Amino acid sequence: MATTVLPRPKAYDDTFFKPISIWLTTTDHKLIGIMYMVTGVLSFVIGGIFALIIRLQLSQPNLKIVDPETYNQLISAHGVTMIFFFVTIFLTGIANYMVPIMIGARDMAFPRVNLLGFWLVPVSILLYYMGFFTGGALDAGWTGYAPLTEKAYQAKSLGVDFWALSIIVWAISGIMASTNFLTTIVALRAPGMKFSRLPLFVWAQISTSILLLVVGAPLAAAMILLEFDRQLGTQFFTTAGRPVLYQHLFWFFGHPEVYIMILPGFGMISEIIPVFARKPLFGYMSMVAALFGIVFLSMTVWAHHMFTVGMNVWVEGFFMLMTMLIAVPTGIKFFNWIATAWRGSIEFTVPMKFVFGFMATFLIGGLTGIYLASVPVDTQLHQSYYVVAHLHYVLFGGSVFTIMAGIYYWFPKITGRMLGRTLGEWNFWTLFIGFNGTFLIMHTLGLEGMPRRIATYANEAWAATNLIITISSFLIAFSISLLLINIVRSWRSGEPAGDDPWKANTLEWATSSPPPPYNFERVPPVRSFMPLRDLREAAELAEEPSPVPV
Amino acid sequence: MTARVIRVLLTIAGLAALAIALSACDIGGLSPIFPNPVSPNGQDIYNAYLGISVPAIIIFIGVEAALLWVILRYRRSRQPVGYKPPQMHGNTRLEIVWTVIPLIIVLAIAGYSFNTLLKDFQPITNQQLDVTVKGHQFGWVYDYLQYGITVDQEGTLAGDVTPFVVPTHTLVKLRFQGTDVIHSWWVPAISGKTDAVPGYDNFSWLKIDQVGKWRGECAELCGSGHATMQIIVQSMDMADFNNWVAQQKSAGASPSASPNT
Repeated sequence: MATTVLPRPKAYDDTFFKPISIWLTTTDHKLIGIMYMVTGVLSFVIGGIFALIIRLQLSQPNLKIVDPETYNQLISAHGVTMIFFFVTIFLTGIANYMVPIMIGARDMAFPRVNLLGFWLVPVSILLYYMGFFTGGALDAGWTGYAPLTEKAYQAKSLGVDFWALSIIVWAISGIMASTNFLTTIVALRAPGMKFSRLPLFVWAQISTSILLLVVGAPLAAAMILLEFDRQLGTQFFTTAGRPVLYQHLFWFFGHPEVYIMILPGFGMISEIIPVFARKPLFGYMSMVAALFGIVFLSMTVWAHHMFTVGMNVWVEGFFMLMTMLIAVPTGIKFFNWIATAWRGSIEFTVPMKFVFGFMATFLIGGLTGIYLASVPVDTQLHQSYYVVAHLHYVLFGGSVFTIMAGIYYWFPKITGRMLGRTLGEWNFWTLFIGFNGTFLIMHTLGLEGMPRRIATYANEAWAATNLIITISSFLIAFSISLLLINIVRSWRSGEPAGDDPWKANTLEWATSSPPPPYNFERVPPVRSFMPLRDLREAAELAEEPSPVPV
Repeated sequence: MTARVIRVLLTIAGLAALAIALSACDIGGLSPIFPNPVSPNGQDIYNAYLGISVPAIIIFIGVEAALLWVILRYRRSRQPVGYKPPQMHGNTRLEIVWTVIPLIIVLAIAGYSFNTLLKDFQPITNQQLDVTVKGHQFGWVYDYLQYGITVDQEGTLAGDVTPFVVPTHTLVKLRFQGTDVIHSWWVPAISGKTDAVPGYDNFSWLKIDQVGKWRGECAELCGSGHATMQIIVQSMDMADFNNWVAQQKSAGASPSASPNT
């Protein structure tokens, strides 16, 4: 692993032990990226603790570990924390760190906007959790359907208000980040880095940013209208108003948000497979086209979350068709990934294990998505544990597995040290088993009639399944603690990584680990979408007879 | 080499055993499909679920097998020393194939589903009995318009709620209304869910040809008593139903219920 360790720029040696004043005011995209990621991981831990309490409560029938009021706050907080404060935030962080380096830039286009955009995130998070100290947090699920969130049904608590404010701040922060990413990628590419040579992770970030730009504002609008209802009595979504209008606005954001949480992961998979299979990405152009196909389609499918509200059948048919069509670009990506690995010389490092774990599980989430897209079948599955299983297969088996792959892949670049392999293997296998143990049999609970979001149940027939699920969920918790231990240990005393431990393809591996504040002393020439591999091959040609690699 | 082959075989055998164990398992909570439907619209949903399962299972097995093949066959330790993988950047013909085939499959599924949608999911006009189902925090009220009677199904967690009674062999039109927040009426053995939304009427129907009782519950989070909004639908033949109606009318005269709505 440790090839030639280049002397690091002195000023960056103690990256992580800067005075707090530097952390608070830095505009360095890498430090901001790290803060995003740390915030994301902390949210993951908190959201995970909520999930464990939920699972304890459901492990047997008729339990009263928490009362229904608290339970409803917990499921809402679990969803909000995981979706808004963990996955989206972590992915913004990893992109914040990697995108400028991957395109050969020195920083983001608007470093101060980046700074403000990041610091709005803790504001948003703190606003949300204020609810717990003011009579109870949001208790209507992460979707917060009106009229349950209206004043008439939430008289005493301020939780809904804090949630709405928190989401407005979050949306503003997301719009700032998206604008910044798009400008950076358009304006700050290194010489030679044409659009046709952008790494797929950067393409994924372009599509994600477009989505968030388009749907962030309607989300904020829905929250503002809801606040008008609650504070000014405007009757937009009340019992006397149009509750379903809220659902339209929310899901116009909510469905693309699913892709905001998975497209960057798709980008990572497209980066990681070629590196460890030692083959170029199969079908670069169709991979990019598929990304934009998903971007377009994802904005035309929102009402598939509303097939039971009683819309016209032709409208339902339209949303069903568009939803099913998403399987086509997703399928292209899947087959291209398999073709990339096909006949390769695959090294099953920990990131690569997570990549294959992702493909094996995300496939299930994709297929159950077809069942859910079919309107008649959806009326049975909607709002049941089948949906809970499906969404965790795409968000956990999908997003979280890609995030894990990304962590193991890029940790050496960010810290200069390898993330321990043995713990990594344990981390992968316990997570893979724990995840499937938790969520696979949830499908059957939904098929048998267990609705989601019920605080408890009296049906003894569901007891055994729920117990297995709860036990498996603690295996997930164990696995995540292995990850955290691994991160802390490796950060302090891991094996030094060198600049390019994986023999990778993209520009971030051309600079030191961690990179200096200005990223590159000189940006390497870019003549394809795998500039680093070009460099390595040129170097190999130059010093031909070196049979034993150092 | 042989050790690896044995390991692979053992893994496959283990997976197969697990699958058999799961399918043979008759304990609750592990059914791979909905309960046996007792209403024609539920039967159509059941059939659509089976229909989608055919391509879904084939795709599942095919892709997972391809992944396993890649994992087992193309790992570096299985490749000859110094193996240089073919540096291919794509194959237009292949990419068209795996664009068009999934497209055909999803169009077929969408067409099939849409057919069921047109057939079962529009408000009916040839009903023999009208019932208005009103959801409230936390229970259901059923108004039998023809008979002027009302069933008040106040929720309990244990599910020992007053049954909603329907006659067998009768097409019942259900009109859903929400009186406070949104609720969703769901009895898996009968059909899918229908939301009871404040502000407008939403429709569904049922037609049960056997005598029995089926359980369900509210499927849309509606507040702290959500889990208690249990449902029991009871079907009885016409004679029993008429007796039940007469009984309800005589009982309904005295208590607080005000049936004429």
